[in-house]
Amino acid sequence: MEKKLKKFLQNATRVAPKISKKGELFELRNGLVSQYPQTRKDAIKKTIQQMTLGKDVSSLFPDILKNIAASDVEQKKLVYLYVMNYAETHPELCILAVNTFVSDAQDSNPLIRCMAIRTMSMIRVDKILEYVEIPLRKTLQDDNPYVRKTAVICVAKLFALNKELCQELGVLEDLVFALEDSNPMVVANAIAALSDIYSADSSVVPLPKLIQQHVSQFLLALNECTEWARIIILGALAEYTAKDSIEAGEIIDRVTPHLQHANAAVVLASIKVVIKNIPKIQTNVDSPIFSKISSGLVSLMSTPPEMQYVALRNIRIILEKYPQLLSRELRIFYVKFNDPLYVKLEKIDTLVRLVDPSNLKQCTLLLAELKEYALEFEPEFVSRAILALSQLGVKYSDVKFIRKVLDIIVELCNTRDSFQDDCLISMCNLLRHAGHEEDEMITQVCSLAQVWSSVESLLQTDYAKCNYVWLLGQFPAKFSNIEQKLQVFIDSFTQEESLTQMSLLITVVRLHASLSGSVLQNLLNLATTGTDEVDVRDMAIMYWRCLSLEDSNDDLINELCNSSLPEVATTLDTFSPELLETLLAELSLLSSIYYRPVATMTKFNMGSNNGLKNKQLDELQFLARDEILKNMNEDNLLDFDDDSNSATNTAVTNSSVLGDLNDLFDFTPVQPQPVEDSMQNLSLKPKTESSTTKSSNTKDLLDLF
Amino acid sequence: MGNFFSSMFDRLWGVNKEMRILILGLDGAGKTTILYRLQIGEVVTTKPTIGFNVETLVYKNLKLNVWDLGGQTSIRPYWRCYYSNTAAVIFVVDSTDKDRMLTASKELHMMLQEEELQDAALLVFANKQDQPGALSASEVSKQLSLVELKDRSWSIVASSAIKGEGISEGLDWLIDVVREEQL
Repeated sequence: MEKKLKKFLQNATRVAPKISKKGELFELRNGLVSQYPQTRKDAIKKTIQQMTLGKDVSSLFPDILKNIAASDVEQKKLVYLYVMNYAETHPELCILAVNTFVSDAQDSNPLIRCMAIRTMSMIRVDKILEYVEIPLRKTLQDDNPYVRKTAVICVAKLFALNKELCQELGVLEDLVFALEDSNPMVVANAIAALSDIYSADSSVVPLPKLIQQHVSQFLLALNECTEWARIIILGALAEYTAKDSIEAGEIIDRVTPHLQHANAAVVLASIKVVIKNIPKIQTNVDSPIFSKISSGLVSLMSTPPEMQYVALRNIRIILEKYPQLLSRELRIFYVKFNDPLYVKLEKIDTLVRLVDPSNLKQCTLLLAELKEYALEFEPEFVSRAILALSQLGVKYSDVKFIRKVLDIIVELCNTRDSFQDDCLISMCNLLRHAGHEEDEMITQVCSLAQVWSSVESLLQTDYAKCNYVWLLGQFPAKFSNIEQKLQVFIDSFTQEESLTQMSLLITVVRLHASLSGSVLQNLLNLATTGTDEVDVRDMAIMYWRCLSLEDSNDDLINELCNSSLPEVATTLDTFSPELLETLLAELSLLSSIYYRPVATMTKFNMGSNNGLKNKQLDELQFLARDEILKNMNEDNLLDFDDDSNSATNTAVTNSSVLGDLNDLFDFTPVQPQPVEDSMQNLSLKPKTESSTTKSSNTKDLLDLF
Repeated sequence: MGNFFSSMFDRLWGVNKEMRILILGLDGAGKTTILYRLQIGEVVTTKPTIGFNVETLVYKNLKLNVWDLGGQTSIRPYWRCYYSNTAAVIFVVDSTDKDRMLTASKELHMMLQEEELQDAALLVFANKQDQPGALSASEVSKQLSLVELKDRSWSIVASSAIKGEGISEGLDWLIDVVREEQL
C-alpha cells in the first residue's frame, strides 16, 4: 500500500520526463531546462540511463552542460560522466564548461577538484587544454593527496594529448617533485606517469636517473600503498641496478615481504625485483631468498587457471636461470583433472624442467605421474605427456631409467592405437640419446616398427615420418623388407614434406649398396626435379655429384653417411643467454608470456614512418641496381671475345654507371664503396650527367664498345 | 515520505520554482561582477568568463537562477543555448566603451529577436558609472536604440557594480515585472 502511494506521489510530484509522442529527446530536453531543480536532476539521470544503454543522446549536450554548475555532488558527477562521454562530439561547446572546470578545480570538496581536473585532461578537445594550466598547477600543489595523485596522472594524459603544451607549461618538473611526495600513492602515480611519458618520448624525462635518485623513497612507499601502486613501484625498482651488494641486499630485504602478497601481480613484480638483484649479492643455492621466491611462485599455483598459466610461463623463464629453484615443489605442479588444457600442457613442460636430474626418487615419481597422463583422453595432452616421458628419460640420462621409459612408451604404443607418431618420435629421441650401444633397446624399438603395416598412413606428421625413415637407415639390419618399406615413401615422395624428403634421401644414399640400383636413381631424379624445396634439391644434387665421381666414390659416400650424429643431450628447448636476460628483466609483462622481448613486439613506435620510407627507398635502389647490372651483363656477353683490357673497361664503366645511379637516388653512404669511387676516377668515359634513365646508360655502354 | 509531500507542495505553491535570469553583454562589461555583487554583496576579482557562471539567489521571496554568460566573441554564438525558459534578461553595457556601443546594440537586438525570448523582460545596466567619461543612462539608451523595442517591458538603469550603485534598484524593477508576468 505504502509502496503504491509512494509510487503515485512520486509520479505526481517529481514529474520525471515520460516518453510522449514528441520523442524521448524532446522530453528529456524539456526536463533538463525545467524550472524545478529536482526535475532537472531526474532528467539528467534519465539521460545517463539512455547513454549507458548505448543510445545517442549527444544532441542534449548543451542542455546537460547547463547543469554542470550545481552544488549537488551527485548531479555534478552525472554531468561529468556525460561530458566525458560526449565531449568529442561537441568540441566547440565544451568551451562553455571551462569556467566551471576551473572553478570546480578550486572547490572545497576534494572529490570535485579531482573530477574537474580529471575530466579536463581527458576530454580530447584542444580548446579546453588551453585553459588547463592554472587548475593543473593548483591541483598539483593541492593539500589533499587524492587530488595530487589525480593531477599527477593528468600530466601524463596531457602529455599524450599535447606534448608541446605539456613541456611549455613545465609541469613535468612538478611531476619530478611529486616523486618526493610524502604520500605513497602520489609517488606511485608520479612514477607511473613518468614511465608513460618516458615510453612515449625518452628524451623528455631522464627516467633511469630519476629512479636512481629516488630508490629510497620507493622502498619507503612500498609498504604503505595499494596493490596497484606497489606493482608500479616494483616495476620502477626492477629498472634500477643496485650500486653494490649492500644496496642490493637492502632492496631484496624490503621487497621479500611482498612475495607473500595475495595479489599475483605484486608477487611476480617482487620476484622480478629480487631476481634482478640476486646476482649482486653473494648467494648460494640454498640461501633463504630462494626458498622465499619458490614459496611465492608456489602460491601462484592456487590462483585461477588463467593466472596459473601466466605464472607457469614466467616460471619457465625463471627456471632456466635457476633450475634448482623449485625442485622440491614438484607435487604442486602435478596436473589436476579439472585444469584447462593450456594449463595442463604448461604444467607438463614445467614438471620436466624442474625435476632434479640427480634425484632418482623424484624422477621415478614423475615417471609414474607422466605415465598416468599418457593414459588420459585429450589427444594434445597425451601426446605432450609421451613427449615429456622421453624428455624426462633424456634428462635423467641413465641407461636403466631410459630402458624403463622405453618400456612404458612401447607399452603405450601397443595399447593405444592413435599415438604412434608421438611414441615413435619419443623413442627415436631416446635412442639418439643413449641407444647406440644398447642393442636390446634398438631391437625393442625396431621390432615394434617392423610389424607396422601401411606406415605411410599410420604416421601423420612430417617429423614422425622423418624419424621412421631415420630408424630404417640407422639400423637396417633390424628390419626385413627394407626396400619395400622405403619404396612406399619414395612413391609418395612429392607429397611428403621436406624433413621426410631429406631423411629419405640420406637413408637411400646410405643404403644404396644394398638396394637395387633403380631405387637410388629414381629418388635422385625425383628429388632434383619433383620438389620445390631448395634444400632438398641441393642435397640431392650434391649426393648425385658425389656418386658420379669417378674414383672410389663409395668411400666418400660412406664417409658422408656414416658419420654418427651428435648425441642428443637434451630435448628441452632453451633461450639464448641474451634473450633469457631480457625476459628476466621483463618478467610479469606480456613479453614473458610470448617469450618475446617488448622491443620486438612494438615495431611500430616513433619514427616508424620514416623507417618504412627508407626501407622502401632502399629496396627500390637495390631493385634498380640489379636490373641495370643484369642488362649490362647481357651486353657484356655479346662482346665476350674481347681482350682483357676491354673487360676491365667494362667493369670500370659498370661502376661508373652505378655511381650515376647512386647519385640519382642521392645515395647516402649506407654502404661505403671506396673501391668504386676510386674506380670512377679511372673511368675512361666521364659520367654522363643528363642520362639518368636505365636505357640511356645502357646505350652509353654500347657506345663504349 | 515527507519529502514527497513537501516537493508536491512546492510544486503547488511554486515555492521551489526557480526564475531563470540571464546576464548578457559584451566582454568586460562587468557581468560576473554584477552576479557576485547580487549573490554575496561583494566585489570579487574576476577573470574573463570562458563559459558561464550560475548562481541561485533568493530575492524578495523569489528564487532566482542567475546565469552569467561569457561575453567573448567566440562564446556569444552559444548564448542561444540558454534562452529557453528565461524569465528575464539583464543586458550589461560598459558605458565608457563608446566604440563598441554599436556592437552591443547589434547583439542586443539580435538576441531579442529570438522566439524563446519573446516574453522575457529586459533590464539594461549602463555600468561603470564610477568611471570618468561614462555615458549617462539616457545616452546609452539612445545608442542602443532601446525605444525601438515594442511589446516588451524594458528599463535602463545607470549602475556601478564596483560601488554597488543602481544594482538593487534595477533588480527591484525586474522582480516586480517578472512577478506580474508569472502570476
